[in-house]
Amino acid sequence: MRPNVCRACRPPQPLKQLFLTPPSPSARRSYAVNAPGGTIFQVFNRRTKWLQKERSAFNVEQSRQADYLKDEVAIRLCERLLDVKRHFPRVLDLGANSCNIARALTRPNPDPDPANPTSPPIADKITELICADSSGSLLYRDADLPFNTSTPMKITRHVLTDEETVPFEAGSFDMVMSSLSLHWINDLPGVLTQINHLLKPDCPFIGAMLGGDTLFELRTSLQLAEQERKGGISPHMSPLADVRDVGGLLQRAGFKMLTVDIDDIIVDYPDTFALMQDLQAMGENNAILGREMGAISRDVLLANEAIYRELHGNEDGSIPATFRIIYMIGWRESDDQAKPLPRGSGEINLKDFLEQK
Amino acid sequence: MQPKTRPIQRFAQAVSKCSAEAAVYGKCIVADYNSVHRDKCAKEFMKLKDCYLAASKGAK
Repeated sequence: MRPNVCRACRPPQPLKQLFLTPPSPSARRSYAVNAPGGTIFQVFNRRTKWLQKERSAFNVEQSRQADYLKDEVAIRLCERLLDVKRHFPRVLDLGANSCNIARALTRPNPDPDPANPTSPPIADKITELICADSSGSLLYRDADLPFNTSTPMKITRHVLTDEETVPFEAGSFDMVMSSLSLHWINDLPGVLTQINHLLKPDCPFIGAMLGGDTLFELRTSLQLAEQERKGGISPHMSPLADVRDVGGLLQRAGFKMLTVDIDDIIVDYPDTFALMQDLQAMGENNAILGREMGAISRDVLLANEAIYRELHGNEDGSIPATFRIIYMIGWRESDDQAKPLPRGSGEINLKDFLEQK
Repeated sequence: MQPKTRPIQRFAQAVSKCSAEAAVYGKCIVADYNSVHRDKCAKEFMKLKDCYLAASKGAK
């Protein structure tokens, strides 16, 4: 019976035809493909991350209180849209957390300018915003708040099975945004490639992620504390992408006209416990695969508090925590886009030109 | 209903009463943080821990 089963699952048309008709770019199903033979390096436990986000959303009040960082980054990210003079019919927010981008978009008067006292919310540029996140509880946490209906922008929520496989049609979005969730993705090149395929030609991807020296204070003091108390260290902080890496990643994913910049946000906390509690309330706890299971021991926490204060503490008794945000903008390739001239086609010597002045 | 105090908050409160001991321990580590090994500042840490234990007992 086995050969029959095999015949049944063969494609109906002859194989030759499959190769002869090239699929049109928009209809093609695209998958993010890594270099053949290359393995995707698994760093984070996606299920743990999902659990942590669900748990953080469970305590609504605390979770809203700890949203200050995500709201601030979303506002800064959306301000970049003020420069794009265009209307976006369909926009995706990938890794939406609690729809912080939607909240930032609907904020009244986003562009305080003395010449122009009231500016319309940025949401006026968008017809439909689709907020997608794997954690349903976090996504729907603020579904009843007024910002959902305060502007004509339609907000749709979509629960993803996993942020690493995006289930939308290729070439169906006029913009993709992402704020503070890409740093938990295992296969960043793959996800960026998928985002590139989701976009229509000449449409932007605008994203922000934590990177570089984020929380370096906590990283160093925890390492010292564990080294002294236990004689070894275990990973407490995610490996993060650097600014240099992000440029390369975007290029590799096929984006054009890249802009990458960074922004440091330093938040002061009364003590390390407040910092860690807030990180937990944000759903940003440690989710590295090789981490030590269970809570950090009290001895290490005690030592960490003392070392953090001594090494990084402010004079007024508070402790600083640095969040380094990497903003990235990339455009889907299109024929009518401005392109760099071919190499060697310049006719003016830049050195002469600059020395003339 | 008053929300329950989380253990970490009680812990933080007790630790905050030992800032002098914490500073001594912190200085011991930071003085030479390139060669930290196990129990490098065990004596200072035990003082900090004794203070914390006393403080957490007093709080109850």
